[in-house]
Amino acid sequence: MKNGERMTISRATAAHGGTIGLHGIKKRFGSFQAVDDVTLDIRSNEFFTLLGPSGCGKTTLLRMIAGFELPTEGRVLLDGADISGLLPNQRPVNTVFQNYALFPHLSVAENIGFGLKMLGRPKSEVGAVVADMLKLVHLEGRGDHPVTQLSGGQQQRVALARALAPRPKVLLLDEPLSALDLKLRKSMQIELKRLQAETGITFVFVTHDQEEALTMSDRIAVMSEGQVRQVGTAREIYDRPADRFVADFIGETNFLTGTVERTEGRRATLRLATGATITAGLPDTATPSGAVTLVIRPEHADLVTAGAGTMDGTLGDIVYFGTDTHYHVHLDDGTDFIVRRQNSRAGSEGDAPETGHRIGVRFSDNAAQILKD
Amino acid sequence: MARPFSIKRQPGFATIAMLCFFLLYLPIATLVVYAFNAGVSIAVWEGFSFRWFESAWNNAQVIEASWRSLKIAASAAVIATTCATLAALATTRTAPYRGLTFKYSIINMPLLVPEIVTAVALLILFSRIKVWTGYSGLGYLILAHSAFCVPFAYLPIRARLESMDLSLERAAADLYASPFQTFRHVTLPLLWPGILAGLMLAFVISLDDVVITEFVKSGGQDTLPTYMLGQLRRVVTPEMNAISTVFLVLSLAIVTLFFFLSRNPQKQKT
Repeated sequence: MKNGERMTISRATAAHGGTIGLHGIKKRFGSFQAVDDVTLDIRSNEFFTLLGPSGCGKTTLLRMIAGFELPTEGRVLLDGADISGLLPNQRPVNTVFQNYALFPHLSVAENIGFGLKMLGRPKSEVGAVVADMLKLVHLEGRGDHPVTQLSGGQQQRVALARALAPRPKVLLLDEPLSALDLKLRKSMQIELKRLQAETGITFVFVTHDQEEALTMSDRIAVMSEGQVRQVGTAREIYDRPADRFVADFIGETNFLTGTVERTEGRRATLRLATGATITAGLPDTATPSGAVTLVIRPEHADLVTAGAGTMDGTLGDIVYFGTDTHYHVHLDDGTDFIVRRQNSRAGSEGDAPETGHRIGVRFSDNAAQILKD
Repeated sequence: MARPFSIKRQPGFATIAMLCFFLLYLPIATLVVYAFNAGVSIAVWEGFSFRWFESAWNNAQVIEASWRSLKIAASAAVIATTCATLAALATTRTAPYRGLTFKYSIINMPLLVPEIVTAVALLILFSRIKVWTGYSGLGYLILAHSAFCVPFAYLPIRARLESMDLSLERAAADLYASPFQTFRHVTLPLLWPGILAGLMLAFVISLDDVVITEFVKSGGQDTLPTYMLGQLRRVVTPEMNAISTVFLVLSLAIVTLFFFLSRNPQKQKT
């Protein structure tokens, strides 16, 4: 049966998810340090994302795994074996390029079969895999079309199929969704997750879009200025950002300052600049003392009547977003604080906060997280 | 209402444009018309006739010179295009380095060096070699033509290579193609229109060369242009017009052929 065939392929590839080890990777272009001492371990069958603003070195890192760039220093390991010196065609790793880089002189099927053909596989095998791949990316019957006549979304899927066809140990994706419109991007995100689960291939995904990273990844490495700032699951990165850059780059954040009074396990009791005493989580890798910065996500705080919460202030702008509303509060110590509230139809109009009124902000003890720096 | 600036609406534009076209094409048109003159004059019309085409066709010297021209042009175009393709690959598929611009200039030098200088230089060099080796065949002309055709073939090929998306070659390498396979399956097919353009250009340039040919050729090695030049020194009949007309049609045919070949590299396959 058709379904049965697909299952066989999935099982055959499931064991192939390779691990990538990056050990002390540095890359210099002239005087520019693109990647500055990165050490990362990417696990088998993982959907791993390199996230960061443009110029942070994430694409350079990806290109060093693919073999298009050689590290100035450091080693790239695939399943424990050093591949640093191998040419791209010698690495069992395939790339989905940002601009897809489909061969314009070849048909859809010829594009998808290119890798296997170069590996010298028999025609019958190439044909069978190409047919499977066309099915996998929902392009049945399009094999003979020239790739230049496909839509952006279809080209994207051909690029995916072409990279998956040789069954690489690791699939590298260089901002593959950035050229698509929002709706298509959303459906491709789900599609990519499905393909990763179905093939069992390790995916290394590069993006500057934090939402994309949060929704798709098993683990995320947040990068800035050539360095990895934090590695963790989406939840870890979002709830317990390690430093100001990560907290600021991912989602919206309130920054507060306080002084640590005592620590107990991974939690600290501290006095805020506003005078209130709260407890907050400590970062994973450091135990700061004295004056610290802490972050609270807008949706982890709530508005209460003045005096009843942790801090007081005056309500400023109210911004309506459809699903939720943002309340900008000017705290008494001068800092601005945003509270996010989910909107509901049953919302009682009576106690709706009004601009210019005194208001209290409340958050639970585990909402606050202390930063490393 | 303010309209955007357009050169077409400036005073005198149309006049100058028409004048340029007249100067370019009126003499050629006249030449073609008088190729069909029944009389012996190239200035007095005496009726329509194909007699000068027949006369040229029956002129053994013309046919011989034509064949020689075609042989030289074909050989020189192939040699020059091969060299130019290699040169274009070497100068584009590399990280920029000091001296790269110098290499561009060296390759394109024949475009700038006065042809007469090259001609004299080749004459001196080849005459020595002729004495040493005793060989005096077409080889000298083919070599000379290949040399000055290289930049003409090089320019369109390099332009094509530079506009080619480098990630395509990277994608091929990523998909297990060795450097040679990448060239064979990706670079070459995409480069093909550029190579054809270079080939055609080199062919046409070689076909109508006079100066270098005149200096380098040995006795009895007239090409069509040098034969015509020789004839013009004696008596001018519409036979020259007829030969020129055939020459013109041939060149136009080549350019048109190239245009259709290079228009769409995909359609060419099927």
